[in-house]
Amino acid sequence: MPVARTHCPYCALQCAMTLSPVEMTPVAQVADSEADAAASVSRAAVTVTGRDFPTNRGGLCKKGWTSAELLGSPDRILEPLLRQADGSFEPASWSDALDLVAAKLRETRAQHGADAVGAFGGGGLTNEKAYQLGKFTRVALGSSRIDYNGRFCMSSAAAAGDRAFGLDRGLPFRVDELDAADTILILGSNVAQTMPPFIGHLEGARAAGGLVVVDPRRTATARLTDDGAGMHVQPTPGSDLVLLLGLTHIVIAEKLADLDYLTKRTTGFDAVRRSVSQWWPTRAAEQTGVPVWQLRELARRLAAGVARGAATGCGTYILTGRGVEQHADGTDTATAAINLSLVLGLVGTTHSGYGTLTGQGNGQGGREHGQKCDQLPGYRKINDPAARAHVAGVWGVDPDSLPGIGLPAVELLSSLGEPGGIRCLLVHGSNVVVSAPNADRVHAALKTLDFLVVADFFFSETAVLADVVLPVTQWAEEEGTMTSLEGRVIRRRLAVDAPEGVRSELWIWQELARRLDSASTFSAEASEVFDELCRASEGGLADYSGLSYALLDSEEPAFWPYPVGSTGTPRLFQHDFAHPDGRAHLVPVTARRRGAPAQVGGTLTLITGRLLEHYQSGTQTRRVRELADAQPEARLQLHPATAEQLGISDEAWVEVSNDRGAVRCRAQVSTDIRVDTVFLPFHFAGDQRANLLTDDETDPVSGMPEFKKTTVRVRALVEAGAHV
Amino acid sequence: MSEHLNPERIVLVGYGPVGARFVDELLPLVRAGAATLTVVGAESADAYNRVLIAEYAVGHADRDTLEITDPLAARGAGVHLRLGLSVTAILRSRRSVSLSDGTLLAYDRLVLATGARANVPTLDTSGAPLPRGVTVLRDLDDAQRVLAAVTAGARIVVLGAGVLGMEIALAAADAGAEACVVYHGEIPMARNLDRSGGSVLAQSARRSGVTMVNHSRAESLLFHQDDDGVDRFDALICADGKQIHGDLLLLSCGVGARTELAQLAALPVSTGILVDENLASWGDPRIYAIGDCAHVAPAPRAGDSTALPSGGPSGLIGPGWRQADWLAARFAAEVLGRGEALPLAASMSAVVMLKAEGIDVVSAGNTGADPWDRAVDEHAAGCSGAPLSVSQWADPEHGRYVKMVTRDGILEGFVCVGMPRTAAELTLLFERGSELPFDRSVLLRYDGPDYEPSAGSSFALDATVCWCNGVTVGAIADSAAAGNTSVACISTATRAGTGCGGCKMRIGDVLEHFVTAEPAAGTAG
Repeated sequence: MPVARTHCPYCALQCAMTLSPVEMTPVAQVADSEADAAASVSRAAVTVTGRDFPTNRGGLCKKGWTSAELLGSPDRILEPLLRQADGSFEPASWSDALDLVAAKLRETRAQHGADAVGAFGGGGLTNEKAYQLGKFTRVALGSSRIDYNGRFCMSSAAAAGDRAFGLDRGLPFRVDELDAADTILILGSNVAQTMPPFIGHLEGARAAGGLVVVDPRRTATARLTDDGAGMHVQPTPGSDLVLLLGLTHIVIAEKLADLDYLTKRTTGFDAVRRSVSQWWPTRAAEQTGVPVWQLRELARRLAAGVARGAATGCGTYILTGRGVEQHADGTDTATAAINLSLVLGLVGTTHSGYGTLTGQGNGQGGREHGQKCDQLPGYRKINDPAARAHVAGVWGVDPDSLPGIGLPAVELLSSLGEPGGIRCLLVHGSNVVVSAPNADRVHAALKTLDFLVVADFFFSETAVLADVVLPVTQWAEEEGTMTSLEGRVIRRRLAVDAPEGVRSELWIWQELARRLDSASTFSAEASEVFDELCRASEGGLADYSGLSYALLDSEEPAFWPYPVGSTGTPRLFQHDFAHPDGRAHLVPVTARRRGAPAQVGGTLTLITGRLLEHYQSGTQTRRVRELADAQPEARLQLHPATAEQLGISDEAWVEVSNDRGAVRCRAQVSTDIRVDTVFLPFHFAGDQRANLLTDDETDPVSGMPEFKKTTVRVRALVEAGAHV
Repeated sequence: MSEHLNPERIVLVGYGPVGARFVDELLPLVRAGAATLTVVGAESADAYNRVLIAEYAVGHADRDTLEITDPLAARGAGVHLRLGLSVTAILRSRRSVSLSDGTLLAYDRLVLATGARANVPTLDTSGAPLPRGVTVLRDLDDAQRVLAAVTAGARIVVLGAGVLGMEIALAAADAGAEACVVYHGEIPMARNLDRSGGSVLAQSARRSGVTMVNHSRAESLLFHQDDDGVDRFDALICADGKQIHGDLLLLSCGVGARTELAQLAALPVSTGILVDENLASWGDPRIYAIGDCAHVAPAPRAGDSTALPSGGPSGLIGPGWRQADWLAARFAAEVLGRGEALPLAASMSAVVMLKAEGIDVVSAGNTGADPWDRAVDEHAAGCSGAPLSVSQWADPEHGRYVKMVTRDGILEGFVCVGMPRTAAELTLLFERGSELPFDRSVLLRYDGPDYEPSAGSSFALDATVCWCNGVTVGAIADSAAAGNTSVACISTATRAGTGCGGCKMRIGDVLEHFVTAEPAAGTAG
């Protein structure tokens, strides 16, 4: 097989890489049975090299370099598995497995209605799969019950972007445009660990002393502001909204707002001005823990950057991440960040901007083409009659046959096994037992299902609960497209053939649709599905209709919207915003929730996040030896003053608990975190799942859970040996 | 729109920041047609944010930025705004108020948010109106007078060193005027600060160019005549005979609740209109009071002592807004017959923050205790009245002072001067009732130069060089010791520098450090 020019399987930066087949090793060619086994393990091996591309410039992080190790992992599931009466799994043929799944889907639907069947997708699925899963659920299953784990990532920023700009593309500009920035404000994102090659794009701002990182922890990213490169702002968790309202107040009060821009390009400024009047600096300081001088310095720096931008082209960018978005007021917080950006006049200029840093590999594309419970392909609204007619036309079905709005992820998971809820669930590209909030409740709910089907490469913590496990292809074994954090549509390419018993989801849905006598057609060819996706998206907000594999293979940069006859849109909003009036809409938001409960006797605020070595629920990265060796287990980060109070020493075992659950892990004592805050990474399984503790309260607009502000009690476990 | 045949008639008196907040919070109920809301406000201007009046008065804030509510939205929702009118009487038996235009307005619930007025001390003057060159600072007209003086670079004498007096003096000095604060105690902000904290503030204010005149009781005024023959302020004469000359005398002697309406209607009044925990008047369950005019205290039961309760309105906006939010939510719950509103959180002692650029003063709660008031060891272990403990840090030379007053490790009060980050953290700890670290000095270090360390030695073995691949100095040193002595070799062996590439220079530095200067030193770790 020739070398494949593809992209990394993990995060939304989608670093370009080249996969080259490895020569068969002599030992693998020895024809005895032991060597056969060895050959079957190393058969898939490819070598990874970084490839020059505007996002990663040939570089990769540790996760990317080691990504190919999973292709030949001994943990891979290599044939469909059916759960037996005694709870064990036995292999089955594909036709038997799919017959069983189809029969269960039919039976559940006949007995309990179409909405008793549901699908849960993922932000790591290719555009083709995300599109096809939405179509499969609505057409072949006739169910409205589809949502995906992107609800846990991008939904707040997406809702805020949509509300403000009329369109949601994470970065409405190219990543490499950040290189020239004078000032970059990053709120709640630890890019130095979550997408390390991204930090190359922060060099310009650092050199200009203008990198500002807002995080309750002094993360690797916050450390990039050391030595005069900028400023670290360390608010108490959950106070980001107040911080942003306070900054907006200062910008307006100190006459740093771009009134001309606001008049010409926006609506709603007066209402925002009135709403921030109550957030004068001392009041903002009182609730955030950020001193007034720092608030003022930050506001002034942001404004100075824009002024410089207008003169030199090197302006100010404001970027948000999950730290500020994953809250029950996450949409309002992202809106406040957008309001600040609009008041400063950043958005839609040639030199400045606002963006949200998408997390999952296809977190952008995955939210555009019908995986969300209220959307059809092209970022269309499912309750819009014109959108339904268009998409139904492409699919060749009656618009009235399409279901309406379903349930967002947390509600969907809460409905499992409940009266009127889902009884039979398909899970693709997601490990909800680890990644969903209030994880024990999700675990219990999955067990109440009549039938659970999980498609995965490995026995994830969710797959373990399944009635049927379907082994699917990994990134290097399939064709497809992804849409990266900058809205660039890129090709994922086949580098090695999948193992014998492994299939693509596209093929699985084709087979199931046939067995269910579904209307429309379901191709198993990625390029055919992409062509259909392009047609379905035509005229929508995320319009891909001008794209094709041929065009993408020519390596032309392809930023959506890319309508037929256009050359795409690297930088959005230069002339108009996507609302019918062409303007950006400032929406006043209110900070209602105050503070945290009294922190006495070990009561603290838990925040969660990622480590450099791991990705999401860790299903993949925990199986890469180099990564697992470096970070084998969860550790609770806490401040030495807090640790002293609780009698906890570095590396000692601790219990972190609340009404929902308890995590037992080792302590990592560090001055890099606030005294009132503790941090857990969310990549680990069993009783080290951070999401045993998180609350499933959600944002009323986006359905985003409250991941980043959880009240917990921390205590030392008696002896290091006490942990079993 | 309305399916409510008899919407609840709510009348609000006063359209200041607290009244405006109440209106905003009640809009859903009004929109739903479940209630009508009429607002009577004496000032004809729309509600503005009085908290920022000092900044407006020195030209640091525009009129625009004081706007706090959208009267159009209120009107759009159906609120009747009757501004420029005042209520002359509450006719409780008729459940009506009479207005200055002679009309009557009926209510089912009456909310008084009449606020407070500036106290004017008796200074041997002819009484109201104030003489030329003398002003208080409460409304927009007052602010205009002050602004004119500040703009002219005039000398402003501020009588009273409370929060507002200090804020306006510091802001005026900052804006180029000459400012002098005259007060009769030893320290400024005596209601909020202890002696040490006040002394450090006074010193900082002097350094900012404000003249601080303490121990001075104002007794009378001296005037000179303007060209038109009218008297104008010339100097303040103190009890000890000294004369303090100036162009403008700004009286900043506290505020008093506007309680006249309530008093005329025979409602119980102390330092404010007496209301119970539900903000309802002690004397009439249909009448409520919020904000600066309200004095919240439990209503006496029959047979209780008739002594008036101590305490009074806080004079701060935060508690007023919380009352407005809570009362609107309670009205909505009652009118719609939905659920029980949560009780109003007991009004906690509020945090007072001086708004001044470059001078940070924050205090809250009990600040009077002293470290040696009562030795902790005099108390038996487990004694119910756990004693107050006080930790203190004083560095007058550098304008820094902190006092933390705790009981069982939880703040009952604090003072923090000149240490902004510490102040912000103490505020959070106080408001949440959280435990302080055993080692209180942790809190003092927030404002130190070591708070954001540059990661110790950049050649420490565990210092990260390549963030993309998590490669430390130690790993590079080890790799170098194994024979990888160029950046390219190191990159191949350890992947350092193969991500964003931003660390390649630093890999070179590390190589140089370990290979040239200290060969093989890295492997020892």
